This record gives sequence, C-alpha cells and structure tokens, in this order.
Amino acid sequence: MSLPTRKLTVTINGQRRGPIDVPEGMMMIDVLHEMLDLTGSRLGCGVGICHACVVIWDRDDQTSEEVQTCITGADFFDGKRIRTIEGIARTNDGGEITALSPVQQAFLDKFSFQCGYCTPGFVNAATVLIERLKRAPVPRAEVEATVAAALENHICRCTGYVRYYQAVRDVILTTPGLTRDGA
Amino acid sequence: MTFRRLVQLAAVAAVLVAVALSTFIALRLLGGKTGGAVQVVNAPAELVARGKYLAEAADCAACHSAPGGAPYAGGLAMQSGFGTIYATNITPDPDNGIGRWNADDFWRALHDGIRRDGQQLYPAMPYTSYRGMTRADADAIYAYVMQLRPMKVANLRTQLDFPYDIRLGMIGWNLLFLTDSVPAASTGSSAAWQRGRYLANVLGHCGECHTPRGMLGQMELSEPLTGFALGRVAAPDITPAGLASRGWTAASLRTYFGRGIAGPASAFSDMHQVIMLSTRNLTAEDNDALVTFLLGDKLPLPAPLPPADPAVLEAAARGAGRGDYVALCAGCHGLEGGGVPNTVVALRNNSTLRLADPRNLLVAMLDGIRAENFPHRASLQAMPGFADKLSDQQAAGLANYLRVVWGGQKPDVTAAAVRALR
Amino acid sequence: MNDVGPRSRLSRRQVLRHGLIAGIAVYVAPLGSRAYAALFDERLLTAPAWNGRTASLKYRVDATSKVTGGKVFARDIRARDMPHWPQQQAHALVLRTTLADRLYAGFDLSVLGSDLKPDRVVTAADLARAGLAFPAFYGEDMLLPPGQTAAYLGQAVAMLIFHDFARFRFAKEKLQFNDTVVRYGTVTGPLQRDPWGASRFVRVGGKTGYDEDVFSCTKQGPVSTVAYDRHEPVWPQPARDGDLGAQGMYHAQAIDEELGHPPADWLVMTRDYATQSGDTAALEPDNANGWYDSAKQEMHLVVPTQSPQEVAEGVATLIAKSRLGLKRLFLHPCFTVGYGSKDHNPMPYYGLLAALYGDGRPVRLANDRFDQFQAGLKRHQFSMRYTIGVDRRTGLLQSFQAGIVANGGGRANCSVALTMVGATSAASVYYFPKTDVAATAIASRALDCGSARGYGALETLTATELMADELAAALGLDPIEFRLRNVLKTGMKNAQGAVPDGTQRAEAVLAKARAHALWTGRAAAKQAYEAAHPGKFYGVGFGCIQRRFGDGAQASFAKVEVARDGRITLSHTGTEIGTGASSGQAVACVRWLGRPADALEMAVTEWPDLPVETSGDPHAMSQDEQDRLSLNPRWTPAFASASSASNSAYYFTHTTQAAARVVFLYGLWPAAVAIWAHGGPGVLQAAKPEAARWRDGALVVEGFEPLPLARLAQEAHARGLVVGAAVHGFNRWQWTEADFDVVGGAVRLAVDGLSLRYGDGAAAAKQALASTPNRYHVLNRRTAAFPPTRNNNAMVGYNTAVGTLAELSVDATNGKVAVLAHHTILECGNMLVPDLVSGQLQGGTATGIGLALHEELPLYEGGPGDGTWNFNRYHLPRGSDVAVWAQTAEILPPLSDSEPPKGMAEVVVIPIMAAIVNGIAHAIGHRFRTLPVTPDQILKVLG
Repeated sequence: MSLPTRKLTVTINGQRRGPIDVPEGMMMIDVLHEMLDLTGSRLGCGVGICHACVVIWDRDDQTSEEVQTCITGADFFDGKRIRTIEGIARTNDGGEITALSPVQQAFLDKFSFQCGYCTPGFVNAATVLIERLKRAPVPRAEVEATVAAALENHICRCTGYVRYYQAVRDVILTTPGLTRDGA
Repeated sequence: MTFRRLVQLAAVAAVLVAVALSTFIALRLLGGKTGGAVQVVNAPAELVARGKYLAEAADCAACHSAPGGAPYAGGLAMQSGFGTIYATNITPDPDNGIGRWNADDFWRALHDGIRRDGQQLYPAMPYTSYRGMTRADADAIYAYVMQLRPMKVANLRTQLDFPYDIRLGMIGWNLLFLTDSVPAASTGSSAAWQRGRYLANVLGHCGECHTPRGMLGQMELSEPLTGFALGRVAAPDITPAGLASRGWTAASLRTYFGRGIAGPASAFSDMHQVIMLSTRNLTAEDNDALVTFLLGDKLPLPAPLPPADPAVLEAAARGAGRGDYVALCAGCHGLEGGGVPNTVVALRNNSTLRLADPRNLLVAMLDGIRAENFPHRASLQAMPGFADKLSDQQAAGLANYLRVVWGGQKPDVTAAAVRALR
Repeated sequence: MNDVGPRSRLSRRQVLRHGLIAGIAVYVAPLGSRAYAALFDERLLTAPAWNGRTASLKYRVDATSKVTGGKVFARDIRARDMPHWPQQQAHALVLRTTLADRLYAGFDLSVLGSDLKPDRVVTAADLARAGLAFPAFYGEDMLLPPGQTAAYLGQAVAMLIFHDFARFRFAKEKLQFNDTVVRYGTVTGPLQRDPWGASRFVRVGGKTGYDEDVFSCTKQGPVSTVAYDRHEPVWPQPARDGDLGAQGMYHAQAIDEELGHPPADWLVMTRDYATQSGDTAALEPDNANGWYDSAKQEMHLVVPTQSPQEVAEGVATLIAKSRLGLKRLFLHPCFTVGYGSKDHNPMPYYGLLAALYGDGRPVRLANDRFDQFQAGLKRHQFSMRYTIGVDRRTGLLQSFQAGIVANGGGRANCSVALTMVGATSAASVYYFPKTDVAATAIASRALDCGSARGYGALETLTATELMADELAAALGLDPIEFRLRNVLKTGMKNAQGAVPDGTQRAEAVLAKARAHALWTGRAAAKQAYEAAHPGKFYGVGFGCIQRRFGDGAQASFAKVEVARDGRITLSHTGTEIGTGASSGQAVACVRWLGRPADALEMAVTEWPDLPVETSGDPHAMSQDEQDRLSLNPRWTPAFASASSASNSAYYFTHTTQAAARVVFLYGLWPAAVAIWAHGGPGVLQAAKPEAARWRDGALVVEGFEPLPLARLAQEAHARGLVVGAAVHGFNRWQWTEADFDVVGGAVRLAVDGLSLRYGDGAAAAKQALASTPNRYHVLNRRTAAFPPTRNNNAMVGYNTAVGTLAELSVDATNGKVAVLAHHTILECGNMLVPDLVSGQLQGGTATGIGLALHEELPLYEGGPGDGTWNFNRYHLPRGSDVAVWAQTAEILPPLSDSEPPKGMAEVVVIPIMAAIVNGIAHAIGHRFRTLPVTPDQILKVLG
C-alpha cells in the first residue's frame, strides 16, 4: 500500500538529516521518535498543552523559539534548523557527554526534576529564555516573574515546579549580561 | 484616515449646531443632583433574584466588572474612534458607586442616558438599547445592584478627544440617534418572538456590536444585526439569512447560547464572555425565545456546505495552503478538519470559515485564541497564533484553502488583506 | 555495572538473572544491571558524585541521562534498541467501549479501507482459543466478547496490530473519536454487581486512651459482612455475647444510640463529604513493547512498572495456563513514574497480548493521553458520612461514626485494601474513645481504579480535617487549639486499638503551626488584604494529618559488597519510580561505609545468593500457620514489595543498612583493628565499633590513624573477612528478628535471611561454605521471631505527621481561588537526601492543590471512558497555581541521629487540601464539603 509522502530535510543538532520520505500528515514528534531515533522529546498530551515535546527552532534572524512537535507537522521543519534535548549538552565524537549546558547543570544541582519525563521540555524552554535574555536583558527585579512567565506552559506532575524555577532563576542571575539593574 | 478626519469634523459641526438648537432643552433637562442621602433598599428576595437574572441577561458585568477588578466596580476601558471611555462603578458605594441613586435616577440612566448628576452618558453605555426596557425590569435590576457589596473603587476619568469630551454634545447626538425601539432583523409575532426581541434588542443589546455603526458611532438601524467590526474581531451577521447561510439552526444556536460550543462553532473573544456572563444563564424558555427572534417565527433552512467546484478543490489540495495546513493545523484539527471532540473544534463547516468576510479567520490565524473555560466544565486549550510563522502570502493561501475546502467560500483572500490585519 | 563491554562479547545468559516461575524460566534484566546497560546501550545510572566534606549527594544518580534526553523510560524503547530483537517495530492499538449500558455488538473497520487495514485483529475469541486470560487479581474479560454489556466504560474489546508505524498512525487517526467503529445492541442498563468488599472497624476504648480496650480490631478483629442484600452490605446481628461480628455490632449499635440520644453536654454533628474521581496523571503514559519468538518459545517484554515482581509472576502464570508454549520469559522492567497507576496495572498484560499476536515482530502498545485517560488506573471516588460527638465543656472528642463508600469502578484491583486503609486512617491525628467506621468498596461502571497516591487515606483524612475546623467553630475554639486538645499522644491507642510505633509528633507539628505568623496574623492580614483588594476575599486555612507508610507486609532484599579497591556495589529489590529511591539507597550506605554505593542495581528480582521460600498470605495467615512455616529456616512471609506506599525511605533503607552494617562489623571494623594493632594491642582494648566515625571517607576512632575505605577493603579481602552481605527483611509493623552464627559468634539481627561473602584471603574451609553462584555463604538462622499475625488487624503501625497552612484569596468576580502562599511542617526522621524530601514535599503540595481546586473526572458517561479527555479539561496545577516563590516548609529535627528515615511522599499531598478548603471558609464564610471546589460553586455561594 502507499501513503503519500513528502521529502524532509532538516538540520538537527547541527547535523543535516535527510532528505527522508515522510508520510504526509506525520507530526514531527513521530518523525523524531520513529524515524530519527530521537526519543528525548516526550509525548505528554499530544495536543499542544503540556509542552513536554518542544524542540528549539533556530531562526535565521538568530532568534530561537520553542515549537511543540506533537502538533507541528514534519513539513514545517523542512529546510529549518532545530535543537532537540539530545543536542543541548556538549558531546564527543563517541556521543559521550563531555559538558552539560548551564541549565542542565543547574537542574542537576538543584534536584529540579524527579521522574524526568518533562525535563527535556523544561531544558529547552529555559534555554530559549536565556538566549532571549542575552538579546534583551531584564531588570533583576523582574527575573522571577520572567522565569514564571516563560515556564508557565510547561506541565510537571512530580516537582511542584519550585526547583525548576529556582534553578533557571539562579542561572539567569549568575550569568553576566542577562539582567540589568534598576527597574 | 484623512477622509475619516474630514467626516468627523463635518459631524462635529452637525453636533455643535444640534447643541445650539437644544440649549434650552438642555437647561430644562439638567436637573442634576449631587450629594444626598445614601439609599437603603430592602427589596424582597424574589425581586432581587429577578434583578440578578435581568442584570445577567443585560450583561451589565461584561463592562462594569473589569478583568481582575471587583464585581460591578467598573474600570473596563472601552476604546472608541473618539477616545477611551471607562465603565463606572455601579455598586452601592455612596462615594464611588451609585449608593445615593434612587430608582428614578437609575431609570433615567438606562432610559435617557443621563447620570444622576445630570451629565450625559456616552452611548458606550447602551442606553440606546436599554431605552426599551420596562420600568419594572429596570427597578428589579436596581434592587439587585443596590444589594451588591459596595466597592470602594474610584471611577476612572473618561478621555475623549475634543470636541467629543463635551458631554453636552450628546444632547444633540441623542436628538439625532436615540430612538424608542430598535427595529427587528427578523419577522415574527409569536409570544416567543416578542420575548426574544426584548431579550436581543433591549436586554442583550446585541445590536450594539452586531449592527453597523455610522460616522458618529450611531447604530445604522436601517441594517440591524448585519454585522460590524467594532474591534479586532468582527461581530458577524446574525440576521436570519446570515445565520442560515452559515448553517446555523435553532438547535445549534440554543446549544451555543447555553454552552458556548455547538458542533464546529465555539465562542471566542468578546462573544465568549457574553456566553459566560449572560446567555448561559438564560432559562430554557428565554434561550428559545432569543433563538426564535434571531431566526424569525418561520425558521430559515440552514444552508448545507455547498459542494465546492472539484477543480477548485483539486487546486486547493495541491496548493501551498494545504501544505501549511498539514504543517501547522492538522496536528490538532486533524487531516480531515474534524477536530477532536471536547478538545479542538472542527474546521469542516466551521461558522467562522463560512463567513464571506475572512477577517475573523485571519485574526484567529495570526493572533491565536487563548485558552478558555466553558459552561459545564468544558475547556478549550489555547490556539497558538501563527503571525510569526506565516508570511502574508502563506496566510492568504492557508485561509483560502480552509475557506474552499471546509467553508464553502471563495479563495479570494489576498496577501494585502492579511497585511492589513497585522 | 557501568563498565559495559562491547555487546558482541556480552551474552544475555551471562548477565541476566534466572529463576523459575510456573515452569517458565524467567530472566529479569533490572535497571542498573549490566544486562540493562547492555540492552539499552547507554549509561543510565552514573556513580553518585559524593562530596565528603559536606557529606551530601551532589545530584541524583539517574540525573544525567534524564536531563540529556537519554532513553530512560520504557516509552523510549523501540525494537532497534534491543540488540537481540528483530528490528522492524510493529504497533498496536486497543478498541474500547464507550457505553456500558447496552450490549457490545462487535466493531466495523470499514472506515480504514484497504490501505489502512490492520495486519492482525485480536478479539476475545482469539484469547478463548489460546486459553489466555487475566491473572485472577484482574478479573475477567481481558477483551470483551460480543453479546455482553461492558462491565465498565472504556473496557477493551479488541486489539489491532499494524506491522509499520505509518499505517498504525493514520489508522488510529481514523478510528479515534469515531463512534461508528464499535457497535452496540439492546440497552440493558449498567451491570449491577455486589461490592468488591466491605468491613467495619469498631472500637470502644477503656477509661483513657492508655487503658485496655473494651473492644477493638487489634484485640478482637474487624467486623465482616455476612452477605449483600440488593448489593448493600449486611452486617451481623448485634449480640453482646455473640461471635466477634455480633459483639462488634453490639458496640456499633451502642455508639449509634448514644450519638442519636447524646448526653446533654455533647455537640453531635453529622456531615457528608465527597472527593472526586481523578487521574494520577503520571506524565509517562502506560506502554509496553514485546517480542514473542514462537520458534524459540521466548517472550521478551519491556514494561514500565512499580511492581516488576508482580509482572514477572503474572505474565509467567498467564502464559503457563494458556495453550501457547513458552520456555523463557525475558522481562525488562524500566524506570518509571506512576503515583500508583503503574502498580498492579493491567497494561503489561495487554502488552503481552500484543506481542503474542505480532506474527514474530516486536509490537509496541503505547497509550496516548486520550487512551491514558480512557484506560489508565484511576483514583477512587469517595463518599463519606461522618457523625462526631464532642463534649462542649472540654472540647474533647467522644465518638466517631463513619460510613465510607469508595467507588472501585469496573475491576476490583486494590479497591478493598485501599478502602480499608482509608477507613482505618480516618481518625487522623485524634484520639476518639469510641469509633465505628464502616467502609464499602463498590463495583460500578466507572473506570478501573488503582492505588493512586494517598491510597484511600487522602480522601478520608481530608474529610476529617474539614470537619475538625467546623467542630472547632461550633465550639468557639481556635481550630488548632481544638486539634491540640484532641491530638493522639505517644502511647495512646489509635482507632484500631493499636499503639502506633514510636513517638507521635503531631502535637509538635500543631504547636509549630499555631505559632506561625500566617496563623497568628491571619485576622489582621485579612482586613488589610481585603481593604487593599476590593472584590477579593482573604483566608488562611490549616490541615494536619498523620498517615501510615508501608502496607503491613513489607519485604525486601539488599546486597552490599565492597570490592578490593573500596568500590561499593548495592543491589536491591526496590524499583526507581522517580522519587529518587535509587539515590536514597545509595546514600543509605553512608552510615556504615562512609560513602554512598558506587554502583546500583535496583529492581533486582532474582536472588541466587540468598535463597528464600515464601508461602501463605502475609496479610491473612493465622499465627499457627506462621509458627509452623517459620520452622523452615529459608521461609519468609513475603518475597519483595513493590515500590509504593512511600516505602523506600524506611523499609528499603532498613535492609540496605542491615547489610552494610554486617559488612562493617565483620569486615571493615576487624580489618581496621588489625591495621591499628600494629600501634600496640594494649591501646586497642578501648576502641569500640560504636565509637568509630567516618570522616572524609576514612574511618576514625580515638587517636588512631584515619583509614580510607579502600585500604580497609583491601585488608578485609586479604584477611578473608566479610566483604559482602545479602539480607532479606520482613516487616509487619515491626521487623522480624533472627539469630545467626556470624563468623563464630551468635548475633541477633533485624532480618530473616543472611548470606555472607568472604574475602579471597579466607581459609579454604571458610571458602568451602560459599555455595552460591557469586560465592556466598548462606547462613541458616537459628531462631526467628516474626511479627505476630494479629498486627494485621492494627492496620496502622508507623505514622508520619504533617501539617500545612495555606494562604489564599477568592476572587468574587470569577470565583477563582489563588493560593498566595503555603507553609508545611513535616516530621520524617533522619532524611537520607534532604533535597529529595523537599522535592517530594513541593510536588506533593502541588498535587494537593490540584485535587482541592482543579482536578476532577466525571465518573460515568461523559467521563474519561469516552476517550475524549485530555489536559484541557483535566487541569493539572501550573506554576501560577502553586505559589512557587512564596511557599515554605520546615522539617522537624529528628528525635535522635539514629531515628530511621520515614516515608513521606504520600502524606505531604493531603493536609494542603483541607488547608485550602478551610481557608476558603475563612475567606467567604462557606464550608465546602465536595472536592474540588470550583469557581462555579464559589460564585453560586457569593450570589
């Protein structure tokens, strides 16, 4: 039998993947899981609510944003550059992790997660937030509100969010250039 | 813009003439009061309950309860072509609210658009519709609001550009535009129709949004309920013909007013609030009456989704719009546009897609729709906005795909139309 | 175990453990084992980074893989990840009924056309042919045959298998939400069934809470039903001198009459409470991936489960009873999260079916969120009528009568046990001279319910705490003052007539709460807040509960080994379920070995180095039966417990530390003494092991040279001392104790099984004793003192007390409740990993907020059984709902530095629920008695 397919070429974590034949109408999360062996972006709700499945879309204007792969078709990503949770830490040629990102390290140090199912979404959201603050710093007084707003859409059942939010706040406050003084 | 300015100046002239003409009337009318005794109203519980029901049917809270504010304490900012008008505190607080108003004062505001202090109200307060309210109903609403918790919330000063800030000017405006009754957009004579007319034209003041407005913000009563874009989201045509053309039936309208979600239609923007604060509280009889009036005693046949020209469909299926649909929309709305029951509305036969004017469809595509709760613990998640993911061309293509395939409309949306809404 | 060799050189046989169940060889590759690492080709458990100076764990042992998107969950596994599986992954979905009031009449797949036709359809007929049926625990009709009315909404009727993902994906899009697929016949009305069970717990105390009871569960026993009449329980006829049941009912009747005609100075209040049906909302939806190799008659199964032992036994037994041949079962329990929904969960058995009908291909069955709402184990809905009598003058509670009904839904699962836990926890932190609590677990067409976090006590305790506030108000007492007057003190009997173990600390929690600024300042704060926020109402509420942890039959194995180089390896039967159990157990080694374990094997189910035999039901056996069985030195009442019931911190730690202690006392300590002896034997007399301490990973005592673990290990190995110990422990509200001959001397240990590993330097004779695969010497216990079976009636043995203050505001415009801040006071003994404790606490309170204000599922039609539920309607708390930045907590200091850690993961969910509802009462003056409290309900009250 034959399902209509479309060619997909996408740069994931710096690697050009494809062109691969993707059945028309396949969501990106299914392509990541079933075709590209990238299972770190997690299916939570499948309808764009919980944000466990978000990847980072690196736009040509140097900005980055979260995209929910459970409700975004593979086609959308054709010719685009994205980062998935598997590409956030630095790894060597053998694929072994050599250095975690500041956000990942902070999540470890702060015991931010428990079951860890939603963690990839939180890592990506926090990463996007920090990249945004590099371009547009916020007053120190607004950091907590900024973190809360950026992570509000991400659902976690285990932790009550406290250690996630604290970890991101601390990374922002201790990274030069993400905040400015005064209101 | 300059054209509009011109028109406005012309209109101003007209208003000032009217002012002159009506000075003596004004002098007679301005029997304004300030200070005075704090009113103590001990109305029977049934009257208060009826007043509450009527206040909800008249959707007072929509404007007089600002988001995040106290109930009926005012504060909602209403943008008009002439400046910003703030809804006022109508709790019985003596200093900030209407604690010193008696039933006559209240009636005069609803019926004549005149405040207790004799000042003119602006028609952002729909006395233009409430004028048709019975004195008994006005008194019942008065009895209800007077037993609300008084809220110490000061009123915000309305900020209109000159010369609209001259409230006296409204005397002339009222002379020109204030009528005792608003014409019906449907035909009927049954008791239900009569009751529905009162609910729609007077209490529900549907026309204030759904009837086109003229240069000076007056309702164009010659074409009632034919739809108008007062804000970013247009209030669609809700005449019998307009509703039927989008497939509405008496049953689906009843469900819509009661639940906010009826098949492929879900209330969003201001109408969502109307459902939540007002229509969902209507009794089954009143809900039915409202629907009877909107459709008329003789129910129009709902227009089925017209079969699109196969050639057009074929083109749509191959066009870029289909690609963008699959990439951005199908994840929730489904490849066949069927949506997900209780989760995502269907697009096939969706009322917004069936509108000839693509405005609301484009606004939804660009801005998204925020997550909302509905009656009976229903809830729809947020629809993301795609303004940053779709070029004008893409958005037009996507809109045309949707209109052709599931809306029975023409693929006539242009990139310019999209740009105009950014 | 992290040193993974190339897969080619690593045969499964070498690394998988092996046992025999129902004649089928069962191989289990647990988390953290070389088998596991080899299978998943990735390091999941990295050695803990131990900071000797601050003596704290730097991060959880499973953290790195979780934060980098590693394949941590069963859900992440595909055939390609299983080196020994065929690589083509097939996919399955389940068709379910959405109506349970009419006959099921088959299904129609024509909507799929020829392109999307499934490769295999499995129905009840197939199962009947193959003789496949659920283990008894799960009941009947694994797939519903046509011509029957579904027992419950969402019951499975068929399984469709697709050999490739794309067709599966698009076929599912066509079938899901499509109510033309499953066909129905005549309307029969829902099935009417007798309750799953009912019991009654009656107690009439003595003069005081310390005196001998007149009648109680512990003394006499619980009252059981004699029959059901029109599906309602029928209790024994009351008789003062009748049998146990008759006597119990005699006292119950007296309690009822007294509450009906109370003494003049009594206040008697009757209230009805209800809690919602809910979803545990574990973010990893249930799933399974399996491959049936019919040629070799091997079954390979990857499943997320909180109870691998149960799955191993269940699956093996299921197939053994069928007509299918099976020689070997390879079970791969995975890391998971469940909050109870993955404990005794039917899903792995459906995964097994999928694999059996995969025509040689591995088949994956993975719920999406709609499926999970439709089929996942649910939280029981509770209805409770409480009548309480209290003395107006003294404010002392006199009598408590409760009728509790828990809706167990379509399958029995754990409903009976859970309902009884709810019933026996209902008295919470209070002492009642008289209690009569009748509890029924009913069967209904609601979904299958499981052991959701809180396990029945969450529901009954919340009701008790709401009523406590209302009683205090009626008496004109401060709510905390009222609680303090009635709090159960150490040595007093609980509602079952048992004296809870250890010091009762609810009183300390209450005292702290009463002095807290949120509480003392609440009147002034209310005035100020409401003046500053017109249209908002301010309130502060409080709730305090205590709840048992464990289930009255807790068993576990632990094995601790110290290698020559000082590396510590810990193996345990406990499973990691996201709570950090693995981290906690690694750290539990610190007390005796100075460092956490370097390598961990959790969820180990096969223990060749410590053979034990088990028979009988630990919860139900008679004392005689136990006495008889315990003569067998290998016998123990239970093999190993699931990771649930907040049991890891206390119960798992007990066995871990027991093993570590043996290694210390009979390995490391004598090694140290030998080394120090060079410094002159005389001095040594003084040195006692109790005096020894670990500092920066070195053993220090008195003035002697600090000895690093590595050096001690080398010495112990060289001298043939004990370098490894495997233990088995059993607890029935107290630990089994047994005497063993350890290297010559008789010792009494709080375990019922012990094996020792000796260093290579041991004499030949000693080595000869080592009989097991890993050269362990299995000791025969001399005498064993198992906890008396009557402890089963006590039901509550170990308590953790916790109280929460919640500060909130109610918006009169939209009826929404905003939690502004909350403060929790918790006692939990010595914490293993404080960061994990506070993490559990923060997460628990968030769930409590959800259950108090947001989470709710309709029980029947329109509920999750219809397959259209997701998080848009089931609102899980977000950051903005839980006062992320404004919440605080304090942990009471342990009573001593040897007080064991206590289970706390469930208790912390509960008090904030009552605190919020009581806070709403403070805010708007209305007491809600049904959860959740919704904006609509509040608007109705505010008018």
